Amino acid sequence: MTPFLIGLGLVVAAAIAPVVLPRGGARSRTFGVLLLAGCGLTAAAGVIVLAGGGSVHQQWRPYLPGGDWVIGIDPLSAVFVIAVAVVGATNGVYGDADVRASAHPERSTEANATYAALVASLLLVVTAQSTLLFLTAWELMAISSFLLVITEHERAEVRRAGWIYVVATHAATLLLFVMFALWSTGAHDWTFASLAAAWGGAPSHRGVILLLGLVAFGLKAGYVPLHFWLPPAHSASPAHVSALMSGIVIKTGVYGILRLLTLSGTPPVWFGWTVCMLGAVSAMLGVLWALAQHDMKRLLAYHSVENIGIIMLGIGLGALGGAYGHPALAILGYGAAVLHTVNHALFKSLLFMAAGAVYRRTHTRNIEELGGLARRMPWTFVMFLIGAVAIIGVPPLNGFVSEWLIYVGIFETARTVGDLRLLICAAPVLALVGGLALACFAKVVGIVFLGTPRSACAAESSEVGSSYLMPQAVLAFACVAIGLLPALLATSIARLGAFVAGDPAWGSVGAAATIGTLRGPMLFAIVLAAAIAVAMLARFAFGRRRPVRHAPTWGCGYPEPTARMQYTASSFASPLISMFGALSGVHEHRGATLFHSEPRDIVLDAVLARAWARVESAALRLRPIQQGRLQLYLVYLVAAVLSCLLYLIVAR
Amino acid sequence: MSRPASAWIALAVVLVLAPAVLGVASRTRAALTRRRGAPVLQLYYDLAKLLRRGSVFSDTTTSVFRAAPACVLSAALMAATIVPLDGRGALIRFAGDVVALAYVLALGRFLLVLAALDTGSSFEGMGASREVAVASVVELGLFLSFGTLAVLTKTLSLSGMLGAALAAAWPAGSPAIVMTAVGLFALMLAECARVPVDDPATHLELTMIHEVMILDHSGPDLALILYASALELSIIGAVIVTLLVPRSGMPVGVSLAVLGGGLIVIGAGIGVVEATMARLRLPKIPLYLASASSLALFSLVLVLWSGA
Repeated sequence: MTPFLIGLGLVVAAAIAPVVLPRGGARSRTFGVLLLAGCGLTAAAGVIVLAGGGSVHQQWRPYLPGGDWVIGIDPLSAVFVIAVAVVGATNGVYGDADVRASAHPERSTEANATYAALVASLLLVVTAQSTLLFLTAWELMAISSFLLVITEHERAEVRRAGWIYVVATHAATLLLFVMFALWSTGAHDWTFASLAAAWGGAPSHRGVILLLGLVAFGLKAGYVPLHFWLPPAHSASPAHVSALMSGIVIKTGVYGILRLLTLSGTPPVWFGWTVCMLGAVSAMLGVLWALAQHDMKRLLAYHSVENIGIIMLGIGLGALGGAYGHPALAILGYGAAVLHTVNHALFKSLLFMAAGAVYRRTHTRNIEELGGLARRMPWTFVMFLIGAVAIIGVPPLNGFVSEWLIYVGIFETARTVGDLRLLICAAPVLALVGGLALACFAKVVGIVFLGTPRSACAAESSEVGSSYLMPQAVLAFACVAIGLLPALLATSIARLGAFVAGDPAWGSVGAAATIGTLRGPMLFAIVLAAAIAVAMLARFAFGRRRPVRHAPTWGCGYPEPTARMQYTASSFASPLISMFGALSGVHEHRGATLFHSEPRDIVLDAVLARAWARVESAALRLRPIQQGRLQLYLVYLVAAVLSCLLYLIVAR
Repeated sequence: MSRPASAWIALAVVLVLAPAVLGVASRTRAALTRRRGAPVLQLYYDLAKLLRRGSVFSDTTTSVFRAAPACVLSAALMAATIVPLDGRGALIRFAGDVVALAYVLALGRFLLVLAALDTGSSFEGMGASREVAVASVVELGLFLSFGTLAVLTKTLSLSGMLGAALAAAWPAGSPAIVMTAVGLFALMLAECARVPVDDPATHLELTMIHEVMILDHSGPDLALILYASALELSIIGAVIVTLLVPRSGMPVGVSLAVLGGGLIVIGAGIGVVEATMARLRLPKIPLYLASASSLALFSLVLVLWSGA
């Protein structure tokens, strides 16, 4: 426990350092060193717990209302601590460099301070084991991430995104208050341990508590239809903030749901099916809407919605496994969900960082204006390509491992009898999602990095420095390592699955099964990687003895091709978009010489914005009673008192 | 003969036979439309010729374009190692290897699509765009079929789904199995760019899908891609053959003969479709894919319904 607390202290120090130290190179270095050391220590604490299989905790009794403060690391906390530390450290280094290279380098003070505060609050969110501490950390996280989102507050769209985010996150907090209040009615104090003990005593509220938790944490996780704040916020914030938001902050929602399940024991059947449905819908719509985007960061944000859907599918699998009494399925589902959470944190941060590097050099996020960056930013291209191969879930990278585990869970239901078998229908949905994700990333990689530049800003771009590339290389390495050697994680995955399922005794059963299961894809991935390497070497050795000519791209006889004649992102996505019709939320503009498409968010633009406009107009109608005249308010007061008295008299 | 040896031999059979299946298809098509047609071995000649040639690389392209063909071939080879080509067990097998089969083919497709976009050609962009659209829906149908087989055989590995467990499931599950096989055949036509989704013999780039995507590849690279496509078709073909004629109980020799004969029949079947059907208009393709997938969906509903 001590290394974790020291690490947390160092991260807090990293939040204070930029404010108190004098401007200059030393300040930036101090921030970096403190953040890296803090993240390193906390990650080490997480690894120790995860490898050891036990859990540690520390309890304080502060003279404050709200009961004891408990900070603890159990296997579930440990894995999130590791993810926060790895993503937090790499993004911190990247973000410091990126903000200083931006149009407002003086903002690095508050940006770095808030960033470290966010990392510290994230570390606290995933380790807090008492209600008040958890809610405090949750609010700190919400506020610091809000401040980071509005870093570039001179732009109106950024302020709008910030407002939407703050409304969503506070709605979530409010629901959490209600949830914990309901839950704690039967508990003797506010620690999570007492809440878990009180679960058995509050049968009437169980369904409500589970639903409240699902919605409150869902608002953070951002599954459809609660995703509406996510794309604007991700597109408005600086790259490293988007990376941390998408990689970790939304995962606190996942953590919340998993913690809820850990504390409440085996969930009811309806809960499992609900989570599965939400997951499937979210994955499907998330990737479809991503395909329609032309803003690189919005596109990545919708992919987060998709991946949260995949994670939810894993959680749903686990919940159903528990509810129907299949321990192996429960372990597989929860384990896969946690692994996919970590994997997504790694490759999504990587993608956001690479996208941020592109933005820094080209000053545009519009895919349609880019092109040919692979020649100008070769390393950024390699990083983005690794991230893309990982996120579409093809072997031999890490995305495949976790998606495959979820598939195995789904196929496992085929061997059962009864209703549970219907879950096999999730496999084709997941496959379609995979196909669409492939299409989407073919579009991004192809249009942004390949071909020829579609605008001057793309043509004039150049490679970014090592402070951008090194953090990405760390994440890319992690993606490759997990992809090629997944069996090394098998014990931890099984242990985690068993922990969330609420029966550590299942761990040993599950561990054996999962280790056996993970050896297959490991062998496959390694052989595949070797085969690709050998084939490429053979091809190049073979090609050396053959004549090679260089010529322009074959234009089917047209002699003067220009960059504008290349396929655009709009046209690339068009066949799939039109296949799904209105569901894709795209407005296409077609003319004899023009084709472009304009994505709308169905939930935010079509439902929420309209509903809010109604509320606003209704509120305006109530305006006359609020005129700021004291006499009128006195009349209201007297009327209210009189009607209360009247009520008392009549009621008697 | 031990199991791995027969798996190796079956792999060799498929590797050698793959181009001939396409030859049989075009020969059948030619015969049915009263033309002479190319020899059955034409693709072997083409491959040999291409391998002797040099390459032309577009100035626009990067190393993605050069690396893609070798990766595509490796992906197809890896796919072949997961399918139990000998009808008993594959070289690599593990629970959930069906997913690896679909996703390793997806890896190849992803790189091929990137190579197409690497050229900056609008034609290749168009082909790539259509290819990914078709492939996404094919993936859906493919997993509906896998789901059916998983429910039917209660196994998670292709070696089980197409091995002994399949033979045991045949008596009760034959309607679902046959329907799955027919659905897979229709999906194979789409996945491998054949009529009615794509016409390999067409000469107008605007109407092509797969062919236009590889327009800029030349020499050995083109040979690798052509061979990989032929291999992919044969792999899916082998799955269909095994579904219709479970071979786990047969002696190795007979099993391999059935595999070879079955692949030739599949080739002839493709030729018949090509001779009797016109290519569909592009907007109609989703409808075709939906019907092919709904066959798979029906068989899934059937097995879920019957085996409660």
